[in-house]
Amino acid sequence: MTAIATRALSRRFGAFTAVDRVTFEVEQGEIFGFLGANGAGKSTTIRMLIGLLAPSEGSATVAGHDVARDPDRVKGAIGYMSQRFSLYLDLPVVENLLFFGAAYGLEGRALRARAGELLERVGLAGQEEATTGALPGGLRQRLALACALLHRPGIVFLDEPTAGVDPVARRSFWALIRELAAGGTTVFVTTHYLDEAEHCRRIGLMVDGRLVALDTPAGLKATWVPERLLVARGRGLAAAGARLRGAPGIRAVAPFGAGLHLRVDRAGPSAAAIGGALRQAGAGEVEVEEAAPSLEDVFLAVVDRSAAGAAP
Amino acid sequence: MIASRLGRSLVRIGAMAAKETLHVRRDPRTLALALAMPVAMLFLFGYGVSTDVDHAPLAVSDLDASDASRALVRAIAGSGEFDVVARRAPGELEPLFRQGSAVAALVVRHGFGDELRRGRQAEVQLVVDGADALVANQVLAKLDAIVRAESRRLAGPGPDRAGPPIEVRLWTRYNPDGKSAYYMVPGISAFLLAITAVMLTALAIAGEWERGSMEQLFASPVGRLEIVLGKLLPYLVLGLLELELVLAVGAVAFDVPVLGSGLLVFALGFLFLLGMLGQGLLISVLARNQLVATQAGALSAMLPAIILSGMIVPVENMPPPLRLLSRLIPSRYLVHGLRGLLLKGNGLAVLWPDLLAEALFALVVIGLATARFERRIA
Repeated sequence: MTAIATRALSRRFGAFTAVDRVTFEVEQGEIFGFLGANGAGKSTTIRMLIGLLAPSEGSATVAGHDVARDPDRVKGAIGYMSQRFSLYLDLPVVENLLFFGAAYGLEGRALRARAGELLERVGLAGQEEATTGALPGGLRQRLALACALLHRPGIVFLDEPTAGVDPVARRSFWALIRELAAGGTTVFVTTHYLDEAEHCRRIGLMVDGRLVALDTPAGLKATWVPERLLVARGRGLAAAGARLRGAPGIRAVAPFGAGLHLRVDRAGPSAAAIGGALRQAGAGEVEVEEAAPSLEDVFLAVVDRSAAGAAP
Repeated sequence: MIASRLGRSLVRIGAMAAKETLHVRRDPRTLALALAMPVAMLFLFGYGVSTDVDHAPLAVSDLDASDASRALVRAIAGSGEFDVVARRAPGELEPLFRQGSAVAALVVRHGFGDELRRGRQAEVQLVVDGADALVANQVLAKLDAIVRAESRRLAGPGPDRAGPPIEVRLWTRYNPDGKSAYYMVPGISAFLLAITAVMLTALAIAGEWERGSMEQLFASPVGRLEIVLGKLLPYLVLGLLELELVLAVGAVAFDVPVLGSGLLVFALGFLFLLGMLGQGLLISVLARNQLVATQAGALSAMLPAIILSGMIVPVENMPPPLRLLSRLIPSRYLVHGLRGLLLKGNGLAVLWPDLLAEALFALVVIGLATARFERRIA
């Protein structure tokens, strides 16, 4: 079953095209990651999908409702957690839940029961009366998720839910998301953390308003990083790496953390040969090994080649 | 179907209102702003900024020096309202006013006693320091009352007169003692209600923008009008409480009567508040930022309420362009309506234009705010 389907969805602001003919489908129960740099059109797309912003052209259906014709039906069928999880910090935890529940039409005992159930599920049971503003970021984020789930939506949109949250909290938050999807809920999530995107069943990559890649994480890596990936660590790598650029068999050299990532042809130079070449080019003691490409490599390759205007 | 939709809508409005009430309850500063400030200001205006005048310094130019003129001056000095601080020729009065050592002067022309004796209309001249319009008004009113009473006595039962022995036209009806509280309480009510209502809503809604929760609300099935109504409701109740409080303090501390119907007071206050809350809403929809909303809210509520409402400067005394402008200011109708209700006991027959004007203003601003609200998104 299709939870979300867009066809040539576009949004212009004056002369600027924020989202440019984006077409994709998301299956029910899928965790769909939506990646892209700031300003690539992720949030604009989400705002159209949740009925906050009318498309300029194209169409989208969410939970079977057309977002342009029936935004109110869409709003009732989905959950949404906005970028800065906008809770009322001056109110107690439970009041935030009760308010958002009532906003979605829940009432009385059913609302209280559902709120209690979700508090339990996100690990906030016993903290009902705590002032929301006094909670650490990770717990606030869980509360915001609980607020988005009160009315049992079939689809939830999470716009950078883990921004500014510590790694431990991020990990446990993703456990919650996977649990949610396992229960049949569709999760549409944007994130800046590429390691998190590995949790997604499929990933769409936005560059300058266009959807330039859409596949499973493994599929993306195979398509966009077909070469071998070598990781070099050591000293003086930046200058030495630059000299290796364009050498036979070497496709790309990019700084990565304190080291270098090199993409080389399948039949290109070995790790040992690259190490020798780097030392010859002026690097100090270096260590080079083969590595599996990460989504970050994919992201860099996509952005690179989109800038050059070429397909993979 | 329609009933159940309305029901769901009411649930959502109720949820908004309940949440807003919680915000207010958890923020003692808001409550203090809403309830303590008005009372404090009422006392400040009622006592500290009292415009009541007693023992006002008075200069006298008695050119007539007759028995009658001396008796008149004695009557004025003996009233307790004025102290005769100087006796000068009319040409020497100017410096006294400049120094502020006299706020008024009584000039009795030569022939005053004769005119009275012959039963003609006698003339005294009152010169008043107009720099302080309020004091001038009071002084004129009091002097007029004393002079009139005294001249009637001095003239005695003489030949039939065409009119009163001395004609001074001054407005003292409904406030014969010249108590400023009578005059000020309705004005202050308007001023305070305007400020708190506009500021509180402006803050409450701008806060929702700043927090980012407005987008969250827009993404939920809660409609724009439901957000607006839910947000306004608690402040409407708070504002009405505030009005009752101000009137109660006015009645207890300053003996300001409430001669008219309590229901009409309520209606007048309700419609006025609706307009002010709408104004706050409009500001916050446009400003989207608490700081700007506070400033714009305070200014847009305070200035018209002080200057154009008739609270201090009577609408009748305004230059025509301002008088015209004041027709757009709801505080004008509240002040006018409340004065009529409290001091004269006016009923609906006299009051309806004020109620209508307030209702129109409320309708227009809430309509505008809701429409602007809608256009922000989409």
